[in-house]
Amino acid sequence: MDVPIQQVIRPATIAEATALLATRPDARPIAGGTDLMVQLRDGRKHISCLVDLDGLGMAEIRRVDEGVEIGASTRMHSIAAASEIRSNFPALAAAAGTIGAWPIQCRATLGGNLVNASPAADTAPALLIAGAVLTAVSTAGTRPLPVAGFFVGPGRTVLMPGELLVSVFLPLAQVPPGCRLVERFVKAGPRREQVIAVVSLAGRAVVRADGTFEEVRLALGSVAPTPVRARRAEAALMGRRPNQETRRGAVQALQHDIAPIDDVRAPASYRRIAAAVLLDRFLLEAARV
Amino acid sequence: MSERVVVTLTLNGGRRTFEVAPGRRLLDLIREDAGLTGTKEGCAAGECGACVVLLDGAPVTSCLVLAASADGHDVVTVEGLQQSGSLHPFQEALVAQGGVQCGFCTPGLAVTGAAALAYGPGTADERARLLAGNLCRCTGYVKVLEALESASGEKADRAST
Repeated sequence: MDVPIQQVIRPATIAEATALLATRPDARPIAGGTDLMVQLRDGRKHISCLVDLDGLGMAEIRRVDEGVEIGASTRMHSIAAASEIRSNFPALAAAAGTIGAWPIQCRATLGGNLVNASPAADTAPALLIAGAVLTAVSTAGTRPLPVAGFFVGPGRTVLMPGELLVSVFLPLAQVPPGCRLVERFVKAGPRREQVIAVVSLAGRAVVRADGTFEEVRLALGSVAPTPVRARRAEAALMGRRPNQETRRGAVQALQHDIAPIDDVRAPASYRRIAAAVLLDRFLLEAARV
Repeated sequence: MSERVVVTLTLNGGRRTFEVAPGRRLLDLIREDAGLTGTKEGCAAGECGACVVLLDGAPVTSCLVLAASADGHDVVTVEGLQQSGSLHPFQEALVAQGGVQCGFCTPGLAVTGAAALAYGPGTADERARLLAGNLCRCTGYVKVLEALESASGEKADRAST
């Protein structure tokens, strides 16, 4: 059955797209459509005019000064397979590779995952620990948006009407001499494949030669109205070695970083336990690698 | 009444033009406008894989693609998998290994499996992951994965000779 829209426009340039979005308040962008098409079909979103971003390009992964820039229309499969991402941002590569299954990953885009702003968005925790900066373009100009402040609530971001997310910049991790980097993305759900996260966790640890943490960054999905950094748990780990006592302290601190709710996928109490388990596993791995 | 959209695409190797509603899904263009009913509609939410087709060579769930977005692109459905009148090697293997039961998921599986073979043989675990988006409630997947393994083995054999 057709989805209930009145018009679809396929601009050829970003300028055309932003001009359309500026003048047509009823218009919304569509990229991969893997979330939006379902929302339209179910009547959860009502949009009369879709602006198809497919012709704009915006699907490149480029090495730039001190980082990597990913076009907002880059498909999850491309991100999961790109050597530039796998080697520098393994949590993002892993997250992209767990979104839906292969046919979804061949269609779903990074920009779509962010703009859809699900608390369970898999790429969000990976971008949070990387300190990613998004770029939004409108007829008024270009705006850098740190991912840390991008999500406002379920389905809501700081993007303003008429603004289009065009790219995501990830700065390379700074690893001091003698330290090693451990980065992981892990996800808990009822099965291995095609899972919307019950809890997801991205972790990045810079581990000194003596096993203590030079730096730890943790971010979680599905445990709060938005994907969140776990600052208290991070603070409980800084400068320490992930022995049993430290891990216990971090897991306790983590409970104050998160505010899970009961929903169809899991009760809040289970999410708290699962978040603790994912963190403990990450720390054990950081200690071992 | 909403305006119509002209969609010109390559469908199973032939250039075709359709005039469709803006909200037309690629799945409906394929089944109803082009009359190619091999592609199935299962969940209509991108979860079951019965509607998988190749879009520019990549497997996608055609229930989540706007027909308008396929304008200018290359689409291959299960009907387009056969080469010079014979089934695709993965389809042959599905038949030989008994990887078909009720058959509803088979067209989608055939398309994703063909894409998996083109992508690279990989390990057994990698092959299983590539097919994870195609739900099958009959076979338990064992014979399907055996079919993919045997087809990828034959592909590797051919490549090495």
